[in-house]
Order: sequence, then structure tokens, then C-alpha cells
Amino acid sequence: MQPFALNYARPAATLEATTPYVYDSGLQLNVLMDGRVAAGDLALLRELGTTTSTAGSKTHFDD
Amino acid sequence: MTVLILTCEEDVTADMVVVHLNASGVPVVRLDPADLPGGVALSGEYVHGRFRGHLQSAGRLVSIAGLRSVWVRRPGEAAARAAQPSAWLTEESTQALYGMLRGSDARWMNHPDAARRARHKPWQLRLAQRCGLPVPATLITTFPQAAREFADRYPDLVVKPVSGAHPQDPPRAVPTSRVAPDTDFSAVAFGPTLLQRRVGKRADIRLTVVGERLLAARKATADDADPDDPGAVDVRFASADIPWRAADVPPRIADAVRSYLREAELAYGAFDFAEDADGTWWFLECNQSGQFGFVEVETGLPIARTIAEWLADPGPEPQTRVNGSSTTVC
Repeated sequence: MQPFALNYARPAATLEATTPYVYDSGLQLNVLMDGRVAAGDLALLRELGTTTSTAGSKTHFDD
Repeated sequence: MTVLILTCEEDVTADMVVVHLNASGVPVVRLDPADLPGGVALSGEYVHGRFRGHLQSAGRLVSIAGLRSVWVRRPGEAAARAAQPSAWLTEESTQALYGMLRGSDARWMNHPDAARRARHKPWQLRLAQRCGLPVPATLITTFPQAAREFADRYPDLVVKPVSGAHPQDPPRAVPTSRVAPDTDFSAVAFGPTLLQRRVGKRADIRLTVVGERLLAARKATADDADPDDPGAVDVRFASADIPWRAADVPPRIADAVRSYLREAELAYGAFDFAEDADGTWWFLECNQSGQFGFVEVETGLPIARTIAEWLADPGPEPQTRVNGSSTTVC
């Protein structure tokens, strides 16, 4: 009785790696351990894939 | 006047916009409705025909009348992190927060009503057609026979979720997937199924629209791509070896997507197109809150800055009538 589309489902991708930044409520920005703003390190963002469009988001379906 | 950003703390893509707002000196209050009540507090008073409302988060207090814009980015569910969360408390908190904000004169990116409507893929397809965007032949049905007949007419099909949502118990992704010609369609009866003619694409297009600004990126399909490979069908699963590149927007597409956003009453939309061998851009969907960070990171397109400029724009000055003359309210 499984809907047709679910025949094509696969396990959702998960971000296994912990992000190397934490939210600073004073700055209202995520900062790296050395104090730099994470959004300023585009190479890091590319590497982490945290700005990437994904499928299987638990809370958001607007990819 | 303050920009209010509703998003979760880990939303580093929102950070990209906050950086620009900070640089231009525009006040920002960022909060996650999941922290209401608790880390986020609100109060609104309706007395003597007037409304005075305030929000507080992380030591910042902002008047709802002092908001210039509201960016609904990746907000958590209201009250999700309350000390004693419940569905009732979520509804109470949602109504209080969004109800007060709806009473403000702030510009929205995007207004919750428009956003909710815009998430409906069938509605998107119809609006895209009306705006003159090429839409691949599509069927949404629970009739297995209709699916079989559609497959006879269009033997090369893909299937994708109608809602764009993914099942969570257990967590699974449902990528856009190619359907084999001899597929058994009987399971179509167990849930609405979206079948669409597969576009033999030479590239994927992500066109991010902010107000009237168009920022397009193109990712070429690998020459040796196997059409049955999920990455060749759904760009979210495509190899990262081929980068996104900035692209020009055909004038007809530009006119059509602007018309689409006006009709949809959206200030922001991330359009997905498949570019075929003739160079035609086939509309796939418009995500009203689609990701943009990965596009900016790869292409250098100034999407975050453009969003920040839109949010910071004071918009049309409100006019009121005083002693019979039109006067600007400061």
C-alpha cells in the first residue's frame, strides 16, 4: 500500500560533521572558534555544504 | 527602522545577509520563533484605538511599528523550544507572533499567506503556464490508468513529490527520479503522484529573483551523464565536479518570472529550470524560500547583498491625511 513516489525514496542525507562555528547572540552571527564570522569564509561554507540545497530536510521543504 | 529576521541560529546563509546589513548600518533583530516563549518575548497592547507592540530577543527590544521589513528565512516552529512544548502552545505562540506582525506596515519577504500558497506545486505549474513559461507535460493523479495512459503518451517520465516534502518516519528523501517505461503504476492509487515528461537537459538553471533583480546560475550536465543516474535527473544529487556559473537570463524568461512573482505576491523566489538542447528553459518549480548560499559561494553572484538591499529599502513612504492634505509620516 506504499504510494508510488515512495518507491523512489532513499535515506535522507545528514550532515554528519559538526559545524566549526557557534551562534553568537550578541553579533547575531555564527562565529568560528578564532572569532571570525563564519559567513566571511566562503571556502569553508563551500566545504561544509551548509548553504547547499538538499533533499530530505527535516524541517524545511523549500530547497 | 529595523529589519526583523525570523530564522534558526544555525542558518549561516542568513548570516551572509546580516553581514551586509551590519555594514550598511541598518538595525537588525534576528530571532527564532522556536524560542517563543523563553529566549524570545513579545507584548502587544490594543488600547484606545491604537496598537503598540514589541518583541524582545537576546537583550534587543524592537517596536513592531519600527520594523521596515520582515524576512521569513528558516524560522523554527513557534514554541518548539519552550520549557513545556505542546501543540496548543505552538498554536498560541504562532498566532500571537505572526498575528501581531501581520498588523505592521513592514514589507515582507515573503508574506506568510503568499508563501503558503506559493508552496503548492500544482498552483505553481498553472501560474507558470499563465505567465508564459514553458512547462513540461505533467500529470498529478491517483488513477493508475491515467498514469499508464500518460506514460504511453510520454514514455520518458520522471516522478517527484507533489509537495516537495520528504517523509520523516524514518527520514527519507524522494529525489526526482526517472520512471522506467514498463513500470507498474498500480501504487499510484495509494497517493497523489506527480509524473512529468523528462526534459533531456544540457544544464540546470537556478534563477534567484529578489524584488526585480534577477540572478541566474547555470550548471552544465556532464557530457557522459547516465540519464538513469539520480544526479543527472535531480541536480541536488549531481556531482559537485561541475560548478555553477553565472548566466544571462533570456528576456522572455525575465519578463515571465517577474510576472510570476507579481502574481504570486512574492518578493523572493528561487526558480529551477531545465535547459534543453535547444536552449529552452523549462520551468520545474519556484521555491519561495529556496537556498541561495551555495549559488553565491560558487558564482560570486551578489545575492545576499541584493537581499540586504531589498530588506533595507524603506519602501514607499506611508501617507496620511492631516487637515485635508497629504502628509508624510516620519
